[in-house]
Amino acid sequence: MTFGFILAQCLSALSQAAILFFIACGLTLIFGIMRIVNFAHGAIFMLGAYVGLTVLAVTGSFLLSLLLAPVAVGGIGMAFEWIFLRHLYGRREGGAYLLLTFGLAIVLSELIRVIWGPQPLASGIPDYLRGIVVILGQPFPLYRLFLIASGIAAAVAIWQFLERTRAGLLIRAVAQNAEMVHALGTDVALVRTGVFGLGCAMAALGGVLAAPLVTAFLGMGTNVVIDAFVIVIIGGMGSFAGSLIGSILVGFVQVLGAYYFQDLALAFMYFLMLIVLVIRPGGLLGKED
Amino acid sequence: MITRQTMTRRRVLKGTAGASALAAAPGFLRHAGAAAPIRIGIPTVVTGGYALLGSQVIRTCKLVKKLTDARGGLLGQPVEFFYQDTQGDPATCVRKCQELVERDNCRILTGVIVSSEAAAMLPKLEEWNAIFISHGNGDGRLTAELFVPRFFRANTSAPMGARALALYLKDAPEKKFIALASDAAWGRSSNTAFEAQIKKVGKEIVDMVYAPVANKDYSPYIIKILQSGAQGCYVALQGDEARAFYSQATQYGLAERVQFFTEIVAQADIKVLGKDAIGLMGSSRYPLTYDIPQNTAFREAFMREYKNEIPDWTDGEMYQALMILFAAIEKAGSTEPGKIAAAMEDLEVTSVKGPVLMRRCDHQGENQGFVVKVARNDKYAEPVGEIVKIYPREVNTPDCRSSSFSK
Amino acid sequence: MSGKAAGCALAVVACALLPFAIPQYSLSVLIEALIFGLLAMSLDLLVGYCRLYSFGHAAAYGLGAYAAALILTHLQLPLPIGIALAVLATTLVAIPIAWICTRSTGVSFAMLTLAFAQLGYAMLFRFRDITGGSDGITGIPRPPGPWGITWFQGKIGYYYLVLGCLIVSYLVCRAIVRSAFGAVLSAIRENEPKAVALGYDTRLYKITTVVLSYAFGALAGALYAAFAGFASPELFFWLVSGRALIMVVVGGAGTLIGPILGGVFFIFLEHELSQVTDLWPLVFGSIFMAFVMFAPEGIWGLLSSRFKPVPGIPSAGPSDETSDAAA
Repeated sequence: MTFGFILAQCLSALSQAAILFFIACGLTLIFGIMRIVNFAHGAIFMLGAYVGLTVLAVTGSFLLSLLLAPVAVGGIGMAFEWIFLRHLYGRREGGAYLLLTFGLAIVLSELIRVIWGPQPLASGIPDYLRGIVVILGQPFPLYRLFLIASGIAAAVAIWQFLERTRAGLLIRAVAQNAEMVHALGTDVALVRTGVFGLGCAMAALGGVLAAPLVTAFLGMGTNVVIDAFVIVIIGGMGSFAGSLIGSILVGFVQVLGAYYFQDLALAFMYFLMLIVLVIRPGGLLGKED
Repeated sequence: MITRQTMTRRRVLKGTAGASALAAAPGFLRHAGAAAPIRIGIPTVVTGGYALLGSQVIRTCKLVKKLTDARGGLLGQPVEFFYQDTQGDPATCVRKCQELVERDNCRILTGVIVSSEAAAMLPKLEEWNAIFISHGNGDGRLTAELFVPRFFRANTSAPMGARALALYLKDAPEKKFIALASDAAWGRSSNTAFEAQIKKVGKEIVDMVYAPVANKDYSPYIIKILQSGAQGCYVALQGDEARAFYSQATQYGLAERVQFFTEIVAQADIKVLGKDAIGLMGSSRYPLTYDIPQNTAFREAFMREYKNEIPDWTDGEMYQALMILFAAIEKAGSTEPGKIAAAMEDLEVTSVKGPVLMRRCDHQGENQGFVVKVARNDKYAEPVGEIVKIYPREVNTPDCRSSSFSK
Repeated sequence: MSGKAAGCALAVVACALLPFAIPQYSLSVLIEALIFGLLAMSLDLLVGYCRLYSFGHAAAYGLGAYAAALILTHLQLPLPIGIALAVLATTLVAIPIAWICTRSTGVSFAMLTLAFAQLGYAMLFRFRDITGGSDGITGIPRPPGPWGITWFQGKIGYYYLVLGCLIVSYLVCRAIVRSAFGAVLSAIRENEPKAVALGYDTRLYKITTVVLSYAFGALAGALYAAFAGFASPELFFWLVSGRALIMVVVGGAGTLIGPILGGVFFIFLEHELSQVTDLWPLVFGSIFMAFVMFAPEGIWGLLSSRFKPVPGIPSAGPSDETSDAAA
């Protein structure tokens, strides 16, 4: 049990956390503003991966795929919100959102199968990210370090966006008290559309980054959406910082679980969530529901 | 007087003839007459995680229909395939099979993808008066603990895949092995068989690792393999899990430190991994490059039909299963499931994988074992698995109704 | 009111005669559809009457199925007794689950229920020697009943068993929601702090409802295990929970009948669509989205609006009051 080994495990956990963070952050932002649980988030993650790989195949540039795929998918998200979701805000029951986003998940997954076919797409790590870094005697993929860096960069960017910009201020205000913001003259509907688009873009970015790791395949969204829910609950629904902490916790729990308790690896994340919810029912940084 | 011996020889010849005619018939012969078609049900995965394998099953069935109809059908009747989408879910599979049997009168079933779907169907075959031939279900228990008389397995099972590799590894330089498998039934089957076999050939197995079904991040397992000090790593993963694992392993440079031996070499994986797949060794359920007339004919017909798509293991195994089925139907002279089952026992067919004997005691097809190494090949656009060693079927198939090998 | 009773009687008679009017293969699908209808109705107790959305109802279904599988396969007890014991076992397990989950409300409650369902799913793989791992338990028998009765061993007999269980369950649930107990649930749903202020132990009511919901869900699971002859981990997976929720919402939450119809509709729609086209998920998902946009009160809302007098003032939108009136 050398220090190098421990470090390798930690980095591995952080790289997992990075991908989870992209998805969870989008989910929590959407919930914070719109109080809806987006079941289609996994399908959007998958769409991002496929679109990203297509952009890469067409342009040959990984950077372009990192830019274009989230923008495209974010746009699709905004369109979906504009056409469908906005009609539901008056309704009391949450069942409508469930149905709508579940339906979207099914439709989106099938569309991906129809457009791209059942054959998985080749992963595309650009050559400059292909190396292996030896840290304290342990090999570690350069790409995973890149993932960790991307996660940190995104976290900082979003944090600054929420704290320092006017748009961020509006988002936080709407999350707290939509009616008041509306009374003050802001188009709350536009904020909602924007946030849904942003959440989808984040998930899509996660998909583009994950594709070189796991290849793009049908069904890549199915498990990831549940992981994202768990993270958001652990961190606290609607809390951006919570999604960050939750991702890191879950990343570590999954790595440790897989390594030391492989019989129970599946269960570990849920044990964690149970413990957190029993101690703090609103999540670590969330408000009581 | 027709002696028992002559009958046996005729049976083998007829089986082989029927099977090779299937592959070699030119396409311009008269089409099958307007007699009632022979109905074959294909409850496979069209939508869902295993959609790729299902699409391969369907394309091979379509090819077989084309070839069979062109040579006049089977018993003079055209063959008709009824496709249903099971989504890879056992409950849906049973529901679809029920409908195939009761509504469409398809009592011949094949093309099922997931072992748990197959396990759910087995107890119902008697009630349905149906016969089910596996083309690709690997779980050893299906012909052992879960055996039923109406189930036949034409393909190489997971224990058989492990066996061929273990035999090969006896003379390999690697001494310490670690085994990584998916926590699904076939993965457990595979790892258990490999552990038993590798110990038998005098090697050491350091650890047995199981990744949860649908796990996608393999870094903890990769680190475990690196830490274990093993020189060889047995991998019983398939489909998306396998591709994810190999992608990530390449990123860790694992292949330079450890030699991989995989239980299934899939062309789809090679296509995705590209040059990273070269050097991968493993058991092959369908050896593309096997140079016998039946295989050459099939390969050429396939690549002609599907514009230079390389047949994958599902295509080859599906084709073999259908060849064996058709041979049994011809031998029985009937499409009644009970009669087909009786005809299939002890049937020997030379198929795309060589001579296969469908043994009576547990309905496991005795297949030769193939160990391949992925390498570039000028004849094909992608690297393919080149045969390194072939093991005779008697050695490669487990004991009756079990997953272990006493030989 | 008598018109309604006559309508109900007619519906029951029609259901009883169905096996002789439809082809055998459709009967198999119908049995499964009724089982899912029962599952959806059990979830409606939580969703429609307590507004507690559960993402983990697969746990009830799966526990009932596996319990029945183990009891019937190893103990060879008569089928009705085996099913009853499976329901009892699940009910007992549901008590601590309910106690923990009802500490929270809203999405936290939903995620806690999901946690238990996923834990159950993981346990199936951990204890593979008992549960059969990813293959599950196959070859579940239908042992002959007490006093040698065997009519449920055939398909038509089993249909009547499922239909009977469904009708009895519905009547029991209906009695519950119309009783004083149900009135308190209504109060909790509308304004929980007020109910607490009035002196009700709302937590106890919620726990009881969760346990009841699990009990009926387990009945559905046990009936399924004996019908299909197997129990596999997919029964525990969250997709089952999601589908059950969809059935409730599409059928019309808070009506008991609506979710039954929702379950039947869901199964038949999926089954028939997948025969017609490879692209069936596109149509399937779109239909649900269409329900949200154009028929927010679900199937029961659509049906019962035909029997309601035309309202003088158009209602503002879906609300619990109209749903209740329809039930």
